[in-house]
Amino acid sequence: MTAVDPETRIPDPIDVDAAEEARLRAAAGLGPPAPVPGSEYAGFELIGVPDRPPQTEREREMYTLEEGEMLLNMGPQHPSTHGVMRLVVKLRGEVVTDLDPVLGYLHRGIEKLCENATYTTVLTYVDPMDYLASMHNEHAPAIAFEKLFGIQAPPRAEYIRALVVELNRVFSHGLMIGFLALDMGGLTPILYSFINRDDVVELLASISGQRMLFNFFRVGGVNWDVNDEFLSRLGTWHGTVLKSIGDNEKLITENEIFKGRTQGMGILSADQAISYGVTGPNLRASGVPFDVRKAHPYSIYDELEFDVVIQERGDVYARYLQRIAEIKQSLHLIDQIMDKMPHGPVQAQVPGIIRPKPGRAYGAVESPRGLYSVYAISDGGPTPYRFRMRDPSFISLQVMPLLMPGHLIADTMAIMASLDPVMGGVDK
Amino acid sequence: MRLIVERFPETARDLWTDEDTVEVQIARGSVVETLRTLRDDSQFGFFMLADAAAVDYGVGNQFEVVYHLYSDKHPAWLRVRVPVERANPRTPSVTGLWTGAMFHEREMYDMMGIVFEGNRDLRRIYMSPDYRSFPQRKDFLLPDDAADSSAAGVNPLERPETWDLTTFSRELTSSAATYPPLDTQVDVPAEAYPHGQESADKSRPA
Repeated sequence: MTAVDPETRIPDPIDVDAAEEARLRAAAGLGPPAPVPGSEYAGFELIGVPDRPPQTEREREMYTLEEGEMLLNMGPQHPSTHGVMRLVVKLRGEVVTDLDPVLGYLHRGIEKLCENATYTTVLTYVDPMDYLASMHNEHAPAIAFEKLFGIQAPPRAEYIRALVVELNRVFSHGLMIGFLALDMGGLTPILYSFINRDDVVELLASISGQRMLFNFFRVGGVNWDVNDEFLSRLGTWHGTVLKSIGDNEKLITENEIFKGRTQGMGILSADQAISYGVTGPNLRASGVPFDVRKAHPYSIYDELEFDVVIQERGDVYARYLQRIAEIKQSLHLIDQIMDKMPHGPVQAQVPGIIRPKPGRAYGAVESPRGLYSVYAISDGGPTPYRFRMRDPSFISLQVMPLLMPGHLIADTMAIMASLDPVMGGVDK
Repeated sequence: MRLIVERFPETARDLWTDEDTVEVQIARGSVVETLRTLRDDSQFGFFMLADAAAVDYGVGNQFEVVYHLYSDKHPAWLRVRVPVERANPRTPSVTGLWTGAMFHEREMYDMMGIVFEGNRDLRRIYMSPDYRSFPQRKDFLLPDDAADSSAAGVNPLERPETWDLTTFSRELTSSAATYPPLDTQVDVPAEAYPHGQESADKSRPA
C-alpha cells in the first residue's frame, strides 16, 4: 500500500456534511447544488417495501402492485434462505408473480480485506466465503498466486489438493440433498446428510486441524502431508460412504411425494442457463457439459479419468440427480488419486514475504457450486493490488426471478434449494 | 490469438498471453460489438461470460472493466480489458449479450461506482441503497486504517504521516477543506446520490 496523498485523495462523500458543503460552495461562489437525481419520484406513491422511491426501471416494475397483488418479505432470516438473505416476493394469491433478491446482509468486504493482506494471509481470508467449500475457496487463489510467482506446487501436493477438494465436494453435494428435502418438509434426509458430512469433516480435520475453515492450502503446496490417522480414517470412510449415501438416496430418489414436487418444476433451459451465467451442477443439469476440470484442467485433473455427467431436463429433480451422480464421480476420482499419489515434498520453496513481479493471473476451479475464479493483479508489492473473486452462487441467484414466477410460494424454496446457494459466498 | 489480431486489427491492442489466458485490450466504444462478435462468430465461440470485474488503477489513472470469456473451441481463457475514464466512469452494459452480467455490473457499480449505460437495474447490491461511497476504490480510506497495520506488510514507522496520530486522524476526518470546489470533482457520478445528502453510514468518526 502506498500512502494516500491528502491533496489528491477524493473525499468520501460522507466526509462532507451538508453545512460544510454549503460553506464551501459559498466560498467558491457557487449556487445551491443541482437537484438530487431521483427527486422526480417525490410524488410517487410508496407501496410496501422499500420505503423510498424506486431507483431503476426494474425496481419500479417490481414494487408497483396491480389489483390483487401483494408483497411478502421472506427473510432476511428465513430458515430456507440458506443464510441471511431477503427475498421480496410479489404474490397473487399463493402464486409468485415476481421476485427480487436483496443481498448484502453478510457482506464483509473480503475482496478489500485481501487487497490489504499479504499473499500468504489471503488464503485464510477466503475460507469463510463459501463455507461449505472452503477447500475450493483456497484452491483458486493458490492457483492464481502460483501463476503470478511462477512457481509450481510439488506433484504430491497437487494430489493431496485434488484429494481434499474432492472430499469437500462429496460432503457439499451430500448436504445439498439434505437441504433440498428439508426445504420441502422432509426432516430425515438432512440427518443422514449431516452424519455423512461429519465423517468427511472429521477426515479433513485430521489432515488440516479444523473442521470447517480448513486453512489447508499454502502458496506453493499444502500445509500438512497426509498422516496415518487420515489414511486409516479414509479407508474406513470409503468402505461405508456408498452405503450411507445410498441410504439417503433410497429415502428420496423414488419417493413419490418428492418426485411430484420436483419433477417439471423450475425448468432452466440450456440457453437460459448460459445467458444467466449459471455454472456447475446446475448448468450440467440443464444439459451443458461444462466442467472447469475438463474445460481448463488445473491441478492434476488432466491425468485422471472421470465423466462430465449431464442431465437433460433441467428441473429441480434433474439438479438433485446431478448431485448424486457427481458424488459418485468424486468417489471414483478419490480412488484414482489414492492409487497414483507419488511420494515427495508437499511444499515448494517459497520466500517468507512474497513480492511477485507486476502481472495478472486468473485461476479458476470447479467448486461444488460451479465456476469459482480469482483474478489477481500484482503491482510488485507484498499485497495483491486487486483481488477479485467470482462466486458461483452469487451469479446463480440471478435465475430465481426467471424460475420462480408461476410457482406456488411453497415451491420457491425447493427451487432455491436446488440451486444450492451459500450466502457466505454470495455476499463475500 | 492470431485470429484476434486478424479480425480486430484496429481495436485490439496490447495482446498478451500467459500459460492459459489470452489478453486483449479494446476501446470502450466498441465493447458491445466486439463481445458480440466474440460470442456469436463461429470461429471464436466465446459463449460464456466467466467473470466481469472492475479494477481501480488509482487516482490520476483509470478504471478498467475486465471480462473473462470461455470458449470450447480455444484452449485458453480470453481476457478482455476495457479502460474506463476515472473522471467519467461510464461504459456500455453487456446485459444485452449475457443476462447474467446484471449482478456483475451491479457489483461493479456498488463497489467502484462505474455506471453501465443500458443496464436497467443498476442499483447497489451489497451496500444499503442510501450508502454514498464506493468502497473498493483505492482512495477509499478504511475507517480503522487497517491498511497501515503491520499485518499488511507495511511498517507504520516508514510512513511519517502516521507518526502523530492526532494530526493524522484530524486530517482524515476534516480534510474536506483542502479539496477543490465540489463542482470540479466530477469523478463520482451524480447517480450515486439519488437520495439526498444524508448519509446512513454512522460508523465513520465524526
